[in-house]
Amino acid sequence: MTAPVVLQDRPQRPARTLLIGSLVVIAALVVWSVLGLNIKWSRLLDAPADLYRIFKLMFRDTSANDFNKALRALWDSIAIAWLGTIIASCFAVPFGFLAAENLVPRWFSFGMRQIFNLLRSVPELIIVLALIPVLGFTKSAGVLAIAIGSIGTLSKLCSEVIEGIDRGPIEAADSCGANGLQRLRWAVTPQSAPEIASFVLYRFEINIRVSAVLGVLGVGGIGGMLRDGIRFKEWGQAGAALVVIVVGTILVDLLSGAVRRRILSGPRGSGQSPDIAPAHMAKLLAGPAGGSAL
Amino acid sequence: MSDASLSSAVVRQGRPRRPPPSAFGIGVGVVVIVLTILTTWNWKYGTGFSPAEVLRKLRNRNPVVSAIAHTEFSQVFSPRSRNAFVETLRLAVLGSVSGIVVALPLALWSTRFGAPNRLVLIVVRAVCNVIRAFPDILWAVLFVAAVGIGALPGLLALFLFSIAVVTKLTADTLDGIDMGPIEAAHASGARHSQMLRTAVVPQILPAYASYSLYAFELNLRASVVLGLVGAGGIGQRIEFFRNQPAWEKVWGLVVMFVIVVFIVDRLSTLLRRRLV
Amino acid sequence: MIRFSGASVTYGGGVHALKDLDLEIADGEFVVIVGLSGAGKSTLIRAVNGLVPLTSGSLDVNGHEVTALSRRGVRDLRADIGMIFQGFNLVNRTSVINNVLMGRLHRVPTWRTLIGLYPKDDVEIAMRALERVEIVEKAYVRAANLSGGQRQRVGIARALAQEPKIILADEPVASLDPPTSHVVMRYLQQINRELGITTIVNLHFLDLATAYADRIIGLRSGELVFDGSGAEADATVFENIYGRSLTADDTMAKEAAGL
Repeated sequence: MTAPVVLQDRPQRPARTLLIGSLVVIAALVVWSVLGLNIKWSRLLDAPADLYRIFKLMFRDTSANDFNKALRALWDSIAIAWLGTIIASCFAVPFGFLAAENLVPRWFSFGMRQIFNLLRSVPELIIVLALIPVLGFTKSAGVLAIAIGSIGTLSKLCSEVIEGIDRGPIEAADSCGANGLQRLRWAVTPQSAPEIASFVLYRFEINIRVSAVLGVLGVGGIGGMLRDGIRFKEWGQAGAALVVIVVGTILVDLLSGAVRRRILSGPRGSGQSPDIAPAHMAKLLAGPAGGSAL
Repeated sequence: MSDASLSSAVVRQGRPRRPPPSAFGIGVGVVVIVLTILTTWNWKYGTGFSPAEVLRKLRNRNPVVSAIAHTEFSQVFSPRSRNAFVETLRLAVLGSVSGIVVALPLALWSTRFGAPNRLVLIVVRAVCNVIRAFPDILWAVLFVAAVGIGALPGLLALFLFSIAVVTKLTADTLDGIDMGPIEAAHASGARHSQMLRTAVVPQILPAYASYSLYAFELNLRASVVLGLVGAGGIGQRIEFFRNQPAWEKVWGLVVMFVIVVFIVDRLSTLLRRRLV
Repeated sequence: MIRFSGASVTYGGGVHALKDLDLEIADGEFVVIVGLSGAGKSTLIRAVNGLVPLTSGSLDVNGHEVTALSRRGVRDLRADIGMIFQGFNLVNRTSVINNVLMGRLHRVPTWRTLIGLYPKDDVEIAMRALERVEIVEKAYVRAANLSGGQRQRVGIARALAQEPKIILADEPVASLDPPTSHVVMRYLQQINRELGITTIVNLHFLDLATAYADRIIGLRSGELVFDGSGAEADATVFENIYGRSLTADDTMAKEAAGL
């Protein structure tokens, strides 16, 4: 670089205060957490060994009987999740219409939205805690908890779908002289039905995980089997439950993903659904982000 | 005006047969209905859910619902509850940060261009799949069984849960990045890690930060519930009062918790919108 | 010096991108390669720094047999070869200087690059590279906020920051308008003459090729069909390279005029 070059003024390096500030705050929070948490950190080093010990116990004693029980318990969890999701959808679809900005006045939809947000803030576990004294340790408690827990999210998603539809067919229906219900049936529903169905299925996937978790509190299902297995030191049962949960979740995710893709894209070879924008489609086809039971 | 009936002077064409209704659609419809009936009915494989009975039970006087009217917020002043709440926050912070930090390299290694070799790719993807298959509570139950009750199992559970959430979201973003800078890095003779650091990471940093905030949000909710299984935090206080039973206090704690979650939720949504 | 001996590249689908190529390029030459898309220009250029491996034959670059190099050896080789891309290949989200510093990656210890702490001397080299393409005032600007021509200049600066012995440019001006294209070609020419860096450029505009090249290489269907100076390359030569008569698209000036 020794050949003569036109000399120019070099600019100043900008200060990165926001970035450094955030990192400092996070570091401070971490230190505050580490110092304050009541944990014997030496136990952390033992944790992998402890975990390994538990796993060994679990898988040494498993039998075919245990797996049968586990599969039945899994079915229970799935049944609870399914019913809860369906019930929630029955409410969510009309609620979605009630909260769609293109169908109802602004203030009304805003109010509905806040109710949905509030409902979403309450974890299903808390809901089921409240339902157990009332309904007992029954599967119905689980079903209701899941239903209540899903209404908020599903209604919000439904209303967004309805807001996103093309005005065209609605205008066309109006120009043919269709009344409100007919317009709903022929212009709004055909466009939103595939997306809503996809969301319901997506929520069902998540709810299976939720249902497994609720089982830990005693409403039945595979979570309950895991908890009982650990509590009563029936390690074989616990191990079977664990394996069934992992494998079952992975399978359900794959199956549900395939079905959802089919719902959204139509039969093979029919090309893209013209009603859904590609970017939106990509978002719809992505599955749940993680095992979020809440 | 001539007779403009539709049938006159139109070229006759073969009319297509009406296609049979989509097999897929019918299949799905049938499955939905059958599943719903199967799961409602009161038999060995069903739930025995009866809306009438549920409504009846709900209408009965029961301590839980009546306690709502007498919700007690006295626990705000209790040092034990306060400490439990602070513990919840600490668990959420530490669990999130540790998981988030580990999630970035894992997400990078789960992509074809980010993994240094095929073995790493396969192993990392398998590990992530297994971690993702567990809801966080189940990790908590497992860890409680392994290391005993307290805050440690909760921390470990949140650590793994953060990894599950952030790796999946980050990996999805990585699938859509511009490959050009990667080629440029290779062409200049950079090592694999340097390539990742200079050509890939800058592209996903805002998205990664956004997902991290989202994970923190989820962890805050989860850490409350962890206490219910003995893994630390405000959940243990809720469980304590539930067993007494002192439902007024339980509702008080729940309401306070819901308010905090709601606030954090709104704040986080605001921050995340500014990031992306 | 770069020497291809009987070099062939065949892609997976049976596509013969390079057929038995014999070519020698001396140090300090400014060579332009022309030919239709798919003629093998991109393949030839990418073979030089090993981005595309040879299927058969040999390639000697500065005394190294490229086909026999280990992974580490390939990296060392690439450190001495700067590459400029049609799509610029910049990291749009980050600053210009960070993009240029990518050129120093090979020479800076890995731990420093991972945390972004580049030594002063390397930052100085990056700055001088930016000064050479007269864009240093944008050092801390995000790459996304630059025009196409400015981005390509950053691309050149990045290649220069490597202090390379060879510069490869794959259709560097295809995405740029005519005045900017000339600016970029002039920089490349200046760098070649003042610093003595061997420069190989792929172009598909023939008037640019004759204006700037000392030597023109014509490829057709993976074979070398012309090798001579810019003066020798007239319309008939080009028609032979292209295998068809020339159209307005083949010259930048005519295409720009919309003829």
